[in-house]
Amino acid sequence: MSGRPETERKTDGFDAGAIRRQFAILNREIAWLDNAATTQRPEAVLKAMDQFYRQHNANVRRSVHRLGAEATAAYEGARATVARFVGAAAPEEIVFTAGTTAAVNLATFGFARWEIGPGDEVWVSALEHHSNWVPWQQAVKGVGATLKVIPLTPEGRLDLEVFRKGLAAHRTKWVAVAWVSNVLGAENDVRAICDLAHAAGARVLVDGAQGVAHLQPDVAALGCDFFAFSGHKAYGPMGIGALWGRRELLEQTEPLLYGGEMIARVDDLKSTWAEPPYRFEAGTQNVAGAVGLAAAIEWVRDLPAGAHAYVAELAREAAARLAERPGVRVWGPAEGRVSLVSFSVAGVHAHDVAQVLDGRGVAVRAGHMCAQPLMRRLGIESAVRASFAPYNAPDEIRRLLEGVQAAQELFT
Amino acid sequence: MNDIYQAALLAHAKNPHGAGAVPRGTEDAEALNAGCGDEIRVKLVWTPEGGLERLVYEIHGCAVSVAAASMAARRLEGKTPDEIAATAAAFAARLGQAGFEEEWGDFRAFNGIENYPARLHCALLVWQALEKALAKRAGP
Ligand SMILES: Cc1ncc(COP(=O)(O)O)c(C=O)c1O
Ligand SMILES: [Zn+2]
Repeated sequence: MSGRPETERKTDGFDAGAIRRQFAILNREIAWLDNAATTQRPEAVLKAMDQFYRQHNANVRRSVHRLGAEATAAYEGARATVARFVGAAAPEEIVFTAGTTAAVNLATFGFARWEIGPGDEVWVSALEHHSNWVPWQQAVKGVGATLKVIPLTPEGRLDLEVFRKGLAAHRTKWVAVAWVSNVLGAENDVRAICDLAHAAGARVLVDGAQGVAHLQPDVAALGCDFFAFSGHKAYGPMGIGALWGRRELLEQTEPLLYGGEMIARVDDLKSTWAEPPYRFEAGTQNVAGAVGLAAAIEWVRDLPAGAHAYVAELAREAAARLAERPGVRVWGPAEGRVSLVSFSVAGVHAHDVAQVLDGRGVAVRAGHMCAQPLMRRLGIESAVRASFAPYNAPDEIRRLLEGVQAAQELFT
Repeated sequence: MNDIYQAALLAHAKNPHGAGAVPRGTEDAEALNAGCGDEIRVKLVWTPEGGLERLVYEIHGCAVSVAAASMAARRLEGKTPDEIAATAAAFAARLGQAGFEEEWGDFRAFNGIENYPARLHCALLVWQALEKALAKRAGP
């Protein structure tokens, strides 16, 4: 293929094979190009979780015994690791959640909705994942507020001109936007959105789900008020993620779950709450998940130089090769792909493309990718998505293209 | 290659029998496959005697869902509502186990799909729409 020498040149010195060897599941010889749905986990993460259960397992915070102290240290150590990772001012600004979805719901229904009233406006962007769309849609419903949508430019970027003109001081209360689109693949100019929103007196939640594996998160640089992400999209375990919020905001946030561990004092008829973040962590927490998440963060941090550029180059290369094929349409801006490419094949349903690829050991995502409002705007019901990680090889792009060709031959 | 895409299934998918325009709002029923975005709108045209003259459907879906609709449209012509309901129930009960028997005709193309559990709902899409349409016809 004409583009491969370029791939090899640009990624010189980065050893994807050395990364790949840390992932036992990849011995199955699957070309795992569904990393945006969930990445795989390296040995370091599996080992950290295994070690927690084998050596330190206990409830956190409430136990007097030594295992309890060790488990608490592991859990709070993980919180500190997450805090450093996202650039939080203190570990207490990190709430462990089940993932991005849970984090967005906590921010929306624990905090934002108390600021939204009749006549107010909330903005989401046209490319949001359902988990950063539906909570806001439901929050405005019933209080007489309006949901507004930042549209896309023809190129597939957020149209910030429309957003700027549409922002209404005093009426616009919240803006919810993804750091990186899980369909279009580009990083959004979150900083500009935050600056515009703040100038109008609104606050911003950033969905970091697709960013954390590939870009260095820094909540201060992004300028947001809340930041949500999931561990499993960045080599960590499923069922754990976090919400970052500034201490003043978390202090005003209502809990969504009531019960053990989140209280200060319980009387028969009333209760008071623990300080954030404990107020939001009711019940027995996913301690091994938090430990695994911290191990994943350390693993990402210690990736060899060039890993992120390598992933971006795989995505760029895949997009370029796909776009060359007759009948293939690539979605999203040509420049600045972080890690993925979504595409459609004329005359072949996305589901069938994915099935043919699966028959060849190539795993991709097909469907609406939890972004139906975006799909509708693109005029499609579904698309195919290939998403990359540092363990993927340029040869997997070749297999992807051969599979697409095979699907085209089968169906057209 | 993929045993899910047998020649008979591909033939239906490429030239679906009875596919046509069913503008939104004119359908007797619709069915959606939330997993992959397949959607179908069906319109049942009945003869004065109460048999199915034609099943018209507009489908935006994968090859499996299109082929299933095409096979249903062909097989159900002339059938009464009760016969259609019985076939729908029999197909739903049958799907997912290997070896569709001779009498299933073209539906034997779904042999092999039992190995792809994620695709079973694609094959059922048209039948879900049909069941809804029949329920609506039977009235409250
Ligand atoms: C951009 C984006 N936001 C949110 C989510 C939801 O993440 P989770 O399912 O881990 O809550 C995803 C992944 O599915 C995503 O890609
Ligand atoms: Zn389907």
